[in-house]
Amino acid sequence: MTRAGLMGRVPGALFVVAVLAAVEAASRTGFFNSAAVPPPSVVAGAFAGIVTSGAVVKPLLQTLGLLFAGYAIGCTCALVLGILMGSFRRVYDLFEPLTELLRPIPKPALLPALMLFLGLGATMKVTIVALAAFFPVLINAVQGTRSVDPTMIDTGRTFGYGTAAILGRIVLPAAAPYYLAGMRVSLAIALVVIVVAEMLTANGGVGATLIDMQHEFQVRATYGWLTVLAVTGFSLNVLFRWIERRLTFWSPSV
Amino acid sequence: MKGRTSGVVLVVALLACWEASVRLGIVTSTNWPPFTAVLAAAWHGLADGELVTVIGSSLYRMLCGYLIGSALGIGIGLAIALSRPVRLTLEPAIELVRPVPITAIIPVLIFIFGLDDPLKIVCVAVATFFPVVINTIAGTGAVDPIYLDVCRTFGIPRATTIGRVVIPAALPFILAGMRTSLAVALVVTVIAEMLAGQQGVGYYLISMQYALRAADMYGSIVVLTLTAYLLNRLFVWWEGRLIFWSRTRELEPSA
Repeated sequence: MTRAGLMGRVPGALFVVAVLAAVEAASRTGFFNSAAVPPPSVVAGAFAGIVTSGAVVKPLLQTLGLLFAGYAIGCTCALVLGILMGSFRRVYDLFEPLTELLRPIPKPALLPALMLFLGLGATMKVTIVALAAFFPVLINAVQGTRSVDPTMIDTGRTFGYGTAAILGRIVLPAAAPYYLAGMRVSLAIALVVIVVAEMLTANGGVGATLIDMQHEFQVRATYGWLTVLAVTGFSLNVLFRWIERRLTFWSPSV
Repeated sequence: MKGRTSGVVLVVALLACWEASVRLGIVTSTNWPPFTAVLAAAWHGLADGELVTVIGSSLYRMLCGYLIGSALGIGIGLAIALSRPVRLTLEPAIELVRPVPITAIIPVLIFIFGLDDPLKIVCVAVATFFPVVINTIAGTGAVDPIYLDVCRTFGIPRATTIGRVVIPAALPFILAGMRTSLAVALVVTVIAEMLAGQQGVGYYLISMQYALRAADMYGSIVVLTLTAYLLNRLFVWWEGRLIFWSRTRELEPSA
């Protein structure tokens, strides 16, 4: 990084440090009720304890496993349907009214219903994550597929490409920035939804642990587990953007 | 509209299968009421005012949080976009906090704000803030530099330039962010009500689940979905009036 680039980061870092220091002081001096807002240094200690004791491993693996399973199912279904809807007018006409009907449903409102049908275990959580991840990807897949320049497809056809080659070598790469943008939105939504599903079911995972700590008024541990989820969300976002840049290095982001 | 026939037929056929599956005894479960019973429950809930009260109280909390979050998002977004020192100071903090799942913050906010209205309003405000602030920054940054040069050439004061040129030019972006946030705000309201307190449609859904009143539960989901749809249409209408000159008129909110 250039010197100027590094210097540009100083005010931002100072601001974050200043906010943390102010909260630390307010909590230590009793300006903030430390039973509600513990000092950040104490939270950092709680977080370090959760990580180093290994307590983080099992819930985090469970949460991430369910998250990725549901996310993969939701994205795959949405990409397949979206590419079909974007490519064929008839498929679009067939499914458009149904998707317009289902899309505005606030997905977490379906949790109580899914709990009745699928119980409190993995199936229910994977289902709600897949549902929540589905629609943003679908919308982008339809729009992205449609945005592919017809000239490119015609050119491919002229050179004797079959349907599979046109799809794999022209449509998918050309529309990839749209698909990935939808998937990035869905990833954030999926994390929100898996956490709330775990909170409502008390059946393991970081969300359940977090709400347990809150119910037991273990304030420090609650903040510690929140930090676990914050780090998870931040890392997933960074990881996705890295993958996105590698896959669509030629594209100025959509 | 033309060509949607096949799609409408599909929707009707699926609903008919749902209805038939119960009426013909293929599925017998208290969790699976016939579709007509769900509609009847929704209708009764609306007619006797129970659902109206429940959803109304959710909407009230949602709108409070939404207005606070949007105002902060626009204000801070403009400050960041217009001042380099403010951008350098605040943007990293925003990028740091933004990927934190809002649901994870709720337990901690319960310690601070309790279980009632303030908790939900804060949750919604936080969730509303991020799409609005991001779009405000992007929109202000995307103002055509020629506009700004013209203002400078004519010696127009900076405040006037901001009020008469920058904000109107950024408005389509800002409103797009607010439209995204509107859907997010309703979702977060429902989630917060499910997790804490005894008010609103989120709590209603959970209590119907515990009471095994499936038809009432689905009925309230139907009405809630209708509310989400109408809110979005209303916003799009308002947006169209406010930025009638803007050509990008696209429907793409999601939650």
